Amino acid sequence: MRTAVARVEAMRGRAAVPGLLPALAAVGVIVLAVFALTTDRFFTVDNVKAILNSASIVGIMALGLTFVTLVGSLVSLAVGATAVMGAMVFLDQLHLGLVPALALAIAAGAAVTALQGAIVGGWGANPVILTIGAGFLLSGVTSKLSDGVIVQPSAGGYTALNSTPLGVPVGVYVMIVLAVVLQVLLRRTVFGRHVLLVGENRDAARAAGIRITRTTALAFGIAGAAFAIGGAFLGAFNRGASAQLEGTLTFDVIAAVLVGGTLISGGRGSPLRTLAGAVAIATISDVLLLRGFETGAQTLLKGVLVVGVVLALHLAGRGREAES
Amino acid sequence: MSLRRLGADTLVPVVAFGIVLAAYLLTPVYDGHALASFDAYNTLQGFASVGLIALALGLTIVAGEFDLSVLGMQALGGVLAVKAGADHGLLGVAAAVGACLALGAIQGTIIARTGIGSMAITLGTYIALLGLTNVVAGNQTLTYANADVAIWVDQTILSWFSPRSLAALGAFAVALVLFTRTRLGPELKALGGDRRAARVVGVPVRRHLAVLFAVSGGLCGLAGALLAYSNASAQLNPGLEPLVLAAAAAVLGGVSLRGGRGTIWGLLLGALAVALLQQVFAITKLPTSSIQIVFGALLLIVVVVDAPDLRSVVARARARRASHRSAPVAHPEP
Repeated sequence: MRTAVARVEAMRGRAAVPGLLPALAAVGVIVLAVFALTTDRFFTVDNVKAILNSASIVGIMALGLTFVTLVGSLVSLAVGATAVMGAMVFLDQLHLGLVPALALAIAAGAAVTALQGAIVGGWGANPVILTIGAGFLLSGVTSKLSDGVIVQPSAGGYTALNSTPLGVPVGVYVMIVLAVVLQVLLRRTVFGRHVLLVGENRDAARAAGIRITRTTALAFGIAGAAFAIGGAFLGAFNRGASAQLEGTLTFDVIAAVLVGGTLISGGRGSPLRTLAGAVAIATISDVLLLRGFETGAQTLLKGVLVVGVVLALHLAGRGREAES
Repeated sequence: MSLRRLGADTLVPVVAFGIVLAAYLLTPVYDGHALASFDAYNTLQGFASVGLIALALGLTIVAGEFDLSVLGMQALGGVLAVKAGADHGLLGVAAAVGACLALGAIQGTIIARTGIGSMAITLGTYIALLGLTNVVAGNQTLTYANADVAIWVDQTILSWFSPRSLAALGAFAVALVLFTRTRLGPELKALGGDRRAARVVGVPVRRHLAVLFAVSGGLCGLAGALLAYSNASAQLNPGLEPLVLAAAAAVLGGVSLRGGRGTIWGLLLGALAVALLQQVFAITKLPTSSIQIVFGALLLIVVVVDAPDLRSVVARARARRASHRSAPVAHPEP
């Protein structure tokens, strides 16, 4: 059993890639910097704030989704539906106070998503199709419970989530704190190590005695909590919650994780990478917006970036295997 | 074992369609209206939308892949058809099918050459295709002004059919012939069942994958074009619903999500079952949220039943119970 762990650990140890990946990332940053520098109004305090603000809600959710990808379950397509549920629970329960309402929303998101994780981890169900079904079911349930009308805040406490201490939105602080907490959880705890091992090689992890079901359920639970937190911010920002909030949220969140460089097949990546991915995508969207491109072009570029980064990571991984 | 598998291939779709048909036949009890041939026409209209996507998705699942980009291809097909088919409807269909076929071939080649999971690549292309659709449409919903074509595709033929549903049925007929009369069917199943073995026995794996994704794209382009003509407008983002319906049709059609199992007949019955179920919901005026719950739950149940490790979990539990019963002395209670 020890050898299985040692082997998986050794595989992970090879993650230090000299060459291709850092080079690609550097090229990406330089291209983006050139475009940013040559764009009017980019380097203004207001614009940097706008970028961070637009990165924050997607970033918070993407940090959570990173754990789903890391544990080897690809992605969840129920991100948007879970966030909408989180927003609805939060706004509807605000009369209990800000913290209890937020806690309830987080608990709901974590529970619903952890259940999906338990099924994926325990029975090997296809995570993408399972989360499509779960998201659809969740949308149906939330729109039934809300009678299809916009859920209004039951008290005024939500404005705290819209405040801007020291001129920066609360969501940005939450995103950064969450990134650090999740990074520590991944790199410094036994649970984090288990997540990486399960994602890298499920069979080896099982042979090593790791509880796959519990690890996967917890990873999904973290994701669900993050979806709900993002949803609460979204609901607070819009002063109401309905299925309309969902928009392209699911894909923005997935794009942030994958563009950040977390391996789609699991086992390799980190919350900090996702943070970089979220900020990069927000910056690109901002540059495109300032240059007068509309949402279509932004979405197109996001998709192309996702394919490009997935391809680059795969090719880099193959080069590494050839070297060793 | 192989006999049981053969059974599931045909049993699942027949039972699924039978249950839905029984539900439909019971609808007069619900609201007292008489069954009409109009219901058959409506069901086949629904089938025209669901069927082509289900065929595209089903074929990729049988081959052990999953094409998430079907939604993007459908959206792009609709916009291209409306743009290019303003004067001649067929020109628009040709543009939609051609473009989606080409994009699908590129995507299939990338998947075949790199060996990256198709879920990851098609997720990226799905997002990119939605963006491309918006760019082509200029970020606004396009209306299709050619009323002649819009009316023509939905005209009643032999009281049950329309050119649109006949096109979908035609696609299934072609697929059926290719699947049963050539080696393509067994070879696709071999790709999904055991890819290494398929390669060893000489199945051209890369070429099949590239063609498969090209065909999937073309079918979805056709579906999008016909739907846009029928609605006289092109949707920029179809949402997840078509994918949920198509996946439900595929699994009700006896296709295993693990690949390697499925038939064209099954897919046809599965798509018809979903379309008829939609018609039952329309007759009983079920609210949209309830329909979402039904299809979401259906997909959840199916994906859980189909989960590869569930069998071993169940088998282990059964074995444990059996050993408890037969040899209680050997396993004393702790």
